[in-house]
Amino acid sequence: MTAPQPATRLPQPPPPPRRPAPPRPATAAVRPSARRRSPRARGPVAGLLSWLYALVLAAPLYYLVVSALKTNIEIFTHPFALPEHWLWRNFSTAWRTADLGQALLNSALISAVAIVLTLGLALPAAYALARLDNRLARLITGTFSVGFLIPPFAALIPTVVLSIKMNLFYTREFQMLFLPAGALPLSVLLLTQFMRTVPPALVESAALDGAGNWRLLVNVFIPIAMPGVVSVTILQLLAFWNEYLFSLTITGTAPDIRTAQVALPTLVSDATDFGVLTAGTVLTLLPVYVAYSLSSRRMQEALTAGAVKG
Amino acid sequence: MSSTSIPAGGRAAPPTAARRPGRGRRGGLNSPRLLWLTVPSLVWFAVFSVGPLVAMFVIATLRWKGLIYDPTFIGTRNIRHVFADPTFHDAVRNSLVQVAVVIPVMIPLAFMLGYHLSTKPRGYRVLSVLYFSPGLISISVTGMIFYGVLSPEGGANGLLRAVGLDSLGTSWLADPSTALPSLIAIDLWRGIGWTAVLFAARLASVPADVIEAARIDGAGRLRIMWQIAFPMVKTYVRTLTMLQFLWTLFTSAALILLLTKGGPGTSSTTLSYLVYEKAFGQSDLGYSQVVGVVLLLLGVAGMLLIRALLRSPRERTR
Repeated sequence: MTAPQPATRLPQPPPPPRRPAPPRPATAAVRPSARRRSPRARGPVAGLLSWLYALVLAAPLYYLVVSALKTNIEIFTHPFALPEHWLWRNFSTAWRTADLGQALLNSALISAVAIVLTLGLALPAAYALARLDNRLARLITGTFSVGFLIPPFAALIPTVVLSIKMNLFYTREFQMLFLPAGALPLSVLLLTQFMRTVPPALVESAALDGAGNWRLLVNVFIPIAMPGVVSVTILQLLAFWNEYLFSLTITGTAPDIRTAQVALPTLVSDATDFGVLTAGTVLTLLPVYVAYSLSSRRMQEALTAGAVKG
Repeated sequence: MSSTSIPAGGRAAPPTAARRPGRGRRGGLNSPRLLWLTVPSLVWFAVFSVGPLVAMFVIATLRWKGLIYDPTFIGTRNIRHVFADPTFHDAVRNSLVQVAVVIPVMIPLAFMLGYHLSTKPRGYRVLSVLYFSPGLISISVTGMIFYGVLSPEGGANGLLRAVGLDSLGTSWLADPSTALPSLIAIDLWRGIGWTAVLFAARLASVPADVIEAARIDGAGRLRIMWQIAFPMVKTYVRTLTMLQFLWTLFTSAALILLLTKGGPGTSSTTLSYLVYEKAFGQSDLGYSQVVGVVLLLLGVAGMLLIRALLRSPRERTR
């Protein structure tokens, strides 16, 4: 651990705002409404500014969606108007041109394998770290806390070299193996916190019943830490799905293996059809927004718990 | 901060308590041998994260003109080469400008917006969904959105035209005086709201009666925000500031690659992009990794600075 040395004395990663200590951690996070309406005063200026910023956030998103249904000319002449003719074929053109079907499939495959691997590696580690509190355990926790601060981009080029040495350059497999490594520090730390909420009495009685470590993990710790497992899964799936630079350089742009994030920018050319480009952007974004609309609370909790994103 | 108790062992009870009944079975369920379970994840982390990080320092000493060639050791020659290169100086300057604008603007604004959100103003659900959404959007999608918005015939210029300010319009990404500011604006666009949501979540745990008491004592809004609420979550602010700093410094390469390719000229080349460009554009891996090491050192220095600036003398828990 060369560079981030001084970080060892840093605080732990941002605590999950919904501290897992209480019996049912699934509650707190972005749902402060449980508390009675806060007495904090607020002024008209703050309200105005907050909506102004909301507008600034929303404008490009609105522009994105309306442009997806227009021709170039219409985009240029009436950028913010609703489309005159709804040009749905932009979507099919984008889908075909960038081969988005295959790309989305590749993204899904890589994300799925990577998340299974992440949980497979992180759960046993978190179990051990939650059960033990000796010097070595603290050292391992400390290692992960430092690792959590390493920005993944830092070692892009050596990672490419590694993929070549492993004969996995320009394959999806390398990303499947590599992505979990970056996800491990945060996953282990979060899962450990959740697993520490398992009541000692429960462990004791399970142990008296003759449960070994494996059964303790599967039947006691994982069920109780389930909210944490769900958070980690959502958080890391999103990170894997959205990963761009490593996918671009290591998996590459070959249409049969590239991910959706890599496929999308191929719609840019010297004569970009902005309608098609924005339609493709909407298509790439759609899976994430569908997931978000299905479980916005869970997702918001997961991401605030992680407090980092890619 | 509940999490700081990980090593301190706020909940040291389980291990000790469970030790007695567990005796007899393979040295007990709590035998330190349990830590073998952490080995796979540590190995994984060492191979794919620590290994490449260490390798950076090695590659920085090599003459390596492209991945297909064999490297030769040339010691510190790369370093001298890099430090004499005007492009590198531009990249340092651009990176410093980027960080020096983004962080001081983003963190206070995000804190104030987060505080505002945590007071649950009217419509705060809509606000928090909107603020949150850049967190869902990948860098390549962000790039494509702004490729459209900032193109000469795009939304930004369309908006200026609509309000009669045509003269301010420009090809934002192709103009040396606006390329870097555009990238900084995108950083702020996606970062402020997201960070505000995180602050709001954190501020929700500040006990309401403390704020109430301050208000009864006649403290104004701003005073409550900065002198009561802020100190109570200062450690969290510090952590988020460090993370945002690292992300801004390190990850700008992707957006630049998508939008400006570092240009025009070197006007939007940051250190992060230079690492990428030298390795893949100009096939000079030694150069690239010297810049990578510089970036890493800057990252560490910046973190230490932020830690010193946001030091809280008595760290309040909770």
